[in-house]
Amino acid sequence: MQRCSTTCPYCGVGCGVVAAYDSAGDDVRSVSVSGEKNHPANAGRLCVKGTALAETLSTQGRLLYPRLGGRQLHWDAALDEVAQRLRDTRREHGPQSIAFYLSGQLLTEDYYVANKLMKGFLGSANVDTNSRLCMSSAVAAYQRAFGEDVVPCNYQDLESCDLLVMVGSNAAWTHPVLYQRVVAAKQANPHKRVVVIDTRRTASCDVADLFLQVRPGTDAALFGGLLQFLTNHGALDERYIAAHTQGLADALAATAACDLDAVSAATGLAHEALQTFYTWYANTPATVTLYSQGINQSRTGSDNCNAIINCHLATGRIGKPGAGPFSITGQPNAMGGREVGGLANQLAAHRGFDAQDVDAVGRFWRATDMASAPGHKAVDLFQAVERGEIKFLWIMATNPVVSLPDATRVARALQRCDFVVVSDCSADTATAQLADLLLPAAGWGEKAGTVTNSERVISRQRKFAQPPGEARPDWWIVTQVARRLGHADAFDYDSPAAIFREHAALSGFENQGARCFDISPLAGLSDDEYEALPPQRWPLAATGAAGPPEQPFADGRFPTPDGRARFVAVHPVAPAADGRFVVNTGRLRDQWHTMTRTGTVPRLSRHRDFFAISINPEDARELGLDEESLARLGNERGTVVGVPAPDPDLPRGQVWVPIHWSGPFAAAGRVNDLIAPLTDPVSGQPQSKFALAQLTREAPACWGMLFSRRPLELAGTDYWSRLQVAGGHLALLAHSRPASRLAAQLDAVLSQPDLKPVSYQDEASGDLRRLWLRGDDIDSAFFLATQRASLPTRDWLGTLGTSPCPGSPLGLLAGCTPSAADPGATVCSCWEVGEKQIAAEIARGATSVESLGERLRCGTQCGSCLPELKQLIQAAAKERAA
Amino acid sequence: MAATQTRELLVVGAGMGTAYLLQELARLPHDWSITVIGEEARPCYNRVLLSSLLAGELAAADLDMLPADCAARFHSGVRATALDTRARQVHCDDGVARHYDALVIATGARVALPPIDTLRAADNIHVVRTLADVDALRTLSSQRGARAVVLGGGLLGLEAAHGLNSLGFSTAVLHRNPTLMNRQLDREGGQYLQRILEGRGLGIRTGVTPAALDYSRDGRLRGLRLEDGGRIDCDLLVLATGIVPNKDLAAQPALRSERGILVDEQLRTSVQDVYALGECCQYGEHTFGLVAPVREQAAVLARALCGVRSGGFSPSDWPVQLKISGVDIFRAGRLDPGDEHIVFRAPAQGVYRRLAIADNRLVGTLLVGDGAGSSWYAQLIREGSPIDALRQGLMFGRDVATASAAAGSAGDAHTRTSAEIIERDTA
Repeated sequence: MQRCSTTCPYCGVGCGVVAAYDSAGDDVRSVSVSGEKNHPANAGRLCVKGTALAETLSTQGRLLYPRLGGRQLHWDAALDEVAQRLRDTRREHGPQSIAFYLSGQLLTEDYYVANKLMKGFLGSANVDTNSRLCMSSAVAAYQRAFGEDVVPCNYQDLESCDLLVMVGSNAAWTHPVLYQRVVAAKQANPHKRVVVIDTRRTASCDVADLFLQVRPGTDAALFGGLLQFLTNHGALDERYIAAHTQGLADALAATAACDLDAVSAATGLAHEALQTFYTWYANTPATVTLYSQGINQSRTGSDNCNAIINCHLATGRIGKPGAGPFSITGQPNAMGGREVGGLANQLAAHRGFDAQDVDAVGRFWRATDMASAPGHKAVDLFQAVERGEIKFLWIMATNPVVSLPDATRVARALQRCDFVVVSDCSADTATAQLADLLLPAAGWGEKAGTVTNSERVISRQRKFAQPPGEARPDWWIVTQVARRLGHADAFDYDSPAAIFREHAALSGFENQGARCFDISPLAGLSDDEYEALPPQRWPLAATGAAGPPEQPFADGRFPTPDGRARFVAVHPVAPAADGRFVVNTGRLRDQWHTMTRTGTVPRLSRHRDFFAISINPEDARELGLDEESLARLGNERGTVVGVPAPDPDLPRGQVWVPIHWSGPFAAAGRVNDLIAPLTDPVSGQPQSKFALAQLTREAPACWGMLFSRRPLELAGTDYWSRLQVAGGHLALLAHSRPASRLAAQLDAVLSQPDLKPVSYQDEASGDLRRLWLRGDDIDSAFFLATQRASLPTRDWLGTLGTSPCPGSPLGLLAGCTPSAADPGATVCSCWEVGEKQIAAEIARGATSVESLGERLRCGTQCGSCLPELKQLIQAAAKERAA
Repeated sequence: MAATQTRELLVVGAGMGTAYLLQELARLPHDWSITVIGEEARPCYNRVLLSSLLAGELAAADLDMLPADCAARFHSGVRATALDTRARQVHCDDGVARHYDALVIATGARVALPPIDTLRAADNIHVVRTLADVDALRTLSSQRGARAVVLGGGLLGLEAAHGLNSLGFSTAVLHRNPTLMNRQLDREGGQYLQRILEGRGLGIRTGVTPAALDYSRDGRLRGLRLEDGGRIDCDLLVLATGIVPNKDLAAQPALRSERGILVDEQLRTSVQDVYALGECCQYGEHTFGLVAPVREQAAVLARALCGVRSGGFSPSDWPVQLKISGVDIFRAGRLDPGDEHIVFRAPAQGVYRRLAIADNRLVGTLLVGDGAGSSWYAQLIREGSPIDALRQGLMFGRDVATASAAAGSAGDAHTRTSAEIIERDTA
C-alpha cells in the first residue's frame, strides 16, 4: 500500500487528504481516501464528498483523446490547430478577438501559464474564470477596502472568536469540515455565540443562537443599520478609525436612513431580533463575520461585502485573532487564481493595470505583447462572444453553459463563436458538446501543482496515478501552444515546480512590501523541496522567525498608497419584487458544481435524489403542488421543471433551486436559464441568487422510473432527472401522455435484438413495467404508473444493476422485495445509514447524536448529517411528548 | 343377528378415485367390509405420474397410492362383466358373482379414439393409460431416434410426448386446435407452452387434423396423412385424443347414464345403494378428468357411505394445477376479455401469467412457467374479497402484494418498517 498526501479538489476549505493505493507499474488500484491529520485546514476530518473521492476515479465519462469536429486526432495536430487558430484570429481581428475562460478547479501553475500567455504574449486581458461567479465581489470589496485582495482571517479565527456571524453561507452543507470546526469550538466554549443570517432556515442554523431570516437582497441594509447602531451606541473604535482608516463619514451618511424601523421594514426582521444581533455585535470584540455566495452573488455584491467590512473597520476588529470579515470561497483554487491574476481585471501577482504594474510584469516576463487594460469579465465576455467580437475562445476545466446566468444565451454564443476549444476531464459536458476542439485534461490525482484555500494556505496537489488515455496536465497543454506561437523561451517549463518558482519570484518582484502577497522566499525551492512542500500560509513567516506568521493587517497598515483602509459608502438597494416568486439558488450537501464528478458516485445522490424545486408548504398547498404533480418555474428567459419539495424552512413567496442540474442529468433543470445576466457594477459578478418567476402546477398523465446501463437523455419527456446507482443509471420520468405512449418511446430507445424482454402490464390501471435482459444481467428496466406513489422506491430500483437474474424473472418487476429491511432515505452518506434505521435506534432508546453514532456510526465521519440527526431526535422527542 | 353381520362394500375399479375413497374411509369410523376389484394387475396407482414413469423419472413403486393400513380386499386382474342390481351382485370374469350391500362404480375412462376411418389396431399404435401401456412403450425404448407422433395436444398428450421425448423418441405432437391445451390455456398461454416444449425438443403442430393412416404390408403403421395434404412418417403413434367415461357396467335401463353414469350430489346413481365415482360418472352436465373434483367426490362419497353428513358434491370451478414436462401450469376462474387483465410476460424464460379482475375482485388466473401464488389466487377468487389495495403487487404473490399495499396505504412508505407491516397483517 502506498500513500500520497494531497489536497481535496472540491470546496475552498482545501482539506488535506491522503490517497492510499496499490500500484503495479502505471496501474493504480484500490484507492481509498482519508483525511490528512497534519493539514491545518481539516486535521484529519473529511466531508462526504471528500470521503467518496476514490469513487470518482473511474474513466467513465472521461475525455481520453483530442477530438476535432468529433474526430479523434493526434496531440501534435490538435496543438498545431489551437496555435494556428489563435495566431490567425489575433492577426485578422486583433487581440480583443481572443479569450480564455478558466476555472477555480485549475491548479495555480495551470492558471499562471494561461494568464501569462494571454496577458504577456497575446496582448489581451480577456482571461476570466468561473471564480467570477463565486467570489469576485468579495475580491472587489477587499481591494476597495484594503487596496489588495487579502482575506484577513484564518480558520482558527472561526474557532477563537466569541461571536460568529454567518451571512449567506450554509457552511453545514457547502463547507462541512469548517462548519464542524465551528460546532466543536462552540461545544468547547459555552460563551461563544453564533448568528446565522439567511433568507431560508438552513442546516447551518443548527449551531445558531440567533437566526435572522432576512428578505432577499437586504444584507446591506442590515449591516448599514449595524454601522448606525454601533455609532449611536458608542461602540466605534475611534482610535483605530482615526489611525488606520478613512471615509467613515461618507459611509455613515450613505446609511443615515438605516434606523431600526427602516432596517426592520427592509429585512422583515423584528426590532427585538435586530437589537439582539446589534447588541451582541457591539459588545463582542472577538467577532468574525463569515460570508459566502448569499452575499457575493448579488447585483450589489461588492457593496454587501463592504457593508460588512465597514463594521469591522469601525470596531477595529481586523488583523486581530478571532476577528475579521472572512469571505469563504466555493472552489478549491479560487484563491490561487486570484494570486496569479486569473481575473480579467487583475494583471498578475495581485497587481492591477496601472502603467507601473504593466511595465514591471512585462519586464519580469520579458513579454512581447503586454495587455495594458482589463479584459472582459465572465458575463460580459460571453456577451462579447455572442456579439461576434470574440472569435476564439478557450475554455478550461469549467462548464459555463450550465453555470453562467442566462444559460441558453451562453450556449447560443458558443454556437456562434468561430472556434471554441474546451480542455476538460469530462467528455460530455453541456459545454463540451458545443466545442470545435476538445483537449483531454488530466484530473485530480493525475497531475501535480498547488492550490490555495480560503485561509491563504498553499498546499500541494500531488500525482499518484497516470492520466487515462492521452489526457495531459493543463499547464503542459498551454505551454505547448505557447511554444508553437514562438514563445519557447518564455514557456520552457519542464514541470509545475519550474512554474511555481517563477510565480513565487514574480510575487516578490519589485514588491518592497507594497503588496501582502509575497511568496518570493519559495522561489528558490528545488524540485525535491517543491515535491515535499508542506502547507504554507502567506504572508510567510520571516526567515528565521519563530512561531506562525503574523495575521495580515495586524499592524494596522494596509496596502493602499496612504496605508489606510477605506470605508466604502454603501447605499442599500434591495432588488425589486413584482409579485412573482423569488428564486434563490444554491448547493446541495452531497453534490458539486454541475455533477460531472459527484454525479458518478451513487452514494452522493442518496441525500437528495432527483431534480426538485423547494417550495414553502403553504404555497405548495395553494398551488396544488403535491407529490403527484410537477412544479414548473418559468420567466421570460426560460423554464425549469422539477418535482415539488415542500420545505417549511423557506418563507412564503420564495423558491429554492439547486444549481447542479443540466442537460446530461435532467430535462429542464438548468436554473441558470431563469437567471438574468445582471452583474455587480464593480466586480462583474452575476446575481445568481435572485430571479423572479412564475410557479405553476403540471399534472403528468404518467410517471416512471427508468434503469439503464448507459446514461440516457430522454428527449421528448416533460420531466426526467437521472442519477447514478450501482451498475447503472436511474431516472425519474413524468409525461403528459399516457404510459403506453411513453412505453413505446422508451422501447424504441432500449430494445435491441440481443436483449430479452420481460414485461408487466395492468391494462386497466396503466401500470406498465418492462425490462430487458442481456444474458442474466438487467440491461434496462422501466416502471410506469399513473401515480408517482405507485412507483418502486429508488432504494429497490438501485439494486437492479447488481442483482443477478433469478431463475424466474417474476420478482424483477415486483417493485419491492418484501423480506429485505428497507433502511429508508439516507441521512448519513458516509456510512450509508438510513432514516428508518435511525428511527429504529431512537425508538430503542438513543437520545443523542453521540449514542446514534455509537450504535450506527452515523455522523461520525464527516458530520454533515449531524443537524439532521439532531432534528430526528428532537422530532421523536416531540412526538413522545405529544 | 343383523347387528353383528358386517356389511359388504364392493368397489369396481381400482384407479385413483378408489384410492382417494379408501384414504377417506380410513379416516372415518365405519363397519364396512371392503372389496375392490380391478382390471389391471396393480391396484390404485397414481395415473397422473405415468408420464414421469415413462420418462424414467420415477420408479413404478413411487406411484403407489394405497394407505399403509388399508383393510380392503383386492382382486386384481379381475373385470366386472355384469351388474345385477336386483340380486345385488356383480358378475366378474373370474367366474365369481360378488355380493354387495353397497356398490361403488369407479371404472374410470378410456381413451377416446379419433374419428379416422383408417384407424385400426397395430402394434405400433398405443395409448398411455395404464402401467401396462407404459411397460409396452418402454420395451420400445431401444429404438432410439425413432419417430413418435402423439395425436392430441391436451394434458395427456403432452405428458405422453414428454415421456417419449425423454425415452429418446423424436417426438411430434399433432393438435387439432390452434392452441395447445386449449381447455386450460388461452391462446397466448398455449403459445408460451408450445415455445417451451419446442425448446425441449418436441415438435409441435397445432391446427392440424389427420385424415388417414398409412400401413405397411405387415400391418404396421407407417405414417399419417393430414387434412391439409401434408404427410408425416412415424414409427410409433400414441393416441391422446381425450377420454370417454367407461360406463359398460351401466348397460341397463334402471341405471341411468348419458355420457357417464348419472349421479346426484351424494354420488348416488338412480339405483338404491349403487354409487359412481370419478371419470365414469356424470353430474349434471359435467364429466371429470382431473384430480381435484374426483378427490372431492371421494370425500363426499366416503361420508355418505359412513352416514356422516356432508354438504354434498357440487361442481365448482376447480383450479387446475399441472406440471407438463416440468412446466408449472395453473388455471382458476374465468378469463373473459371484457374483464380487466394484468399480464406478465417473459418469453425467453417461458413465464406467462394473466390475472383477470372484475368489480375489484380477482375472477381468473392463468399461470404458465411460474406458479408462484397459485393457492393464494385460488383463495382470492373463491372468497371474492376486494383487491384494490393489493392490485399493484397482486401479480407477484402474497408477500409482495401485502408489502406494497402496506407501503401504499401508509402514505409515507419511508417511515414504515417491515415489522409494522407484519403486525398490522396479523391484527
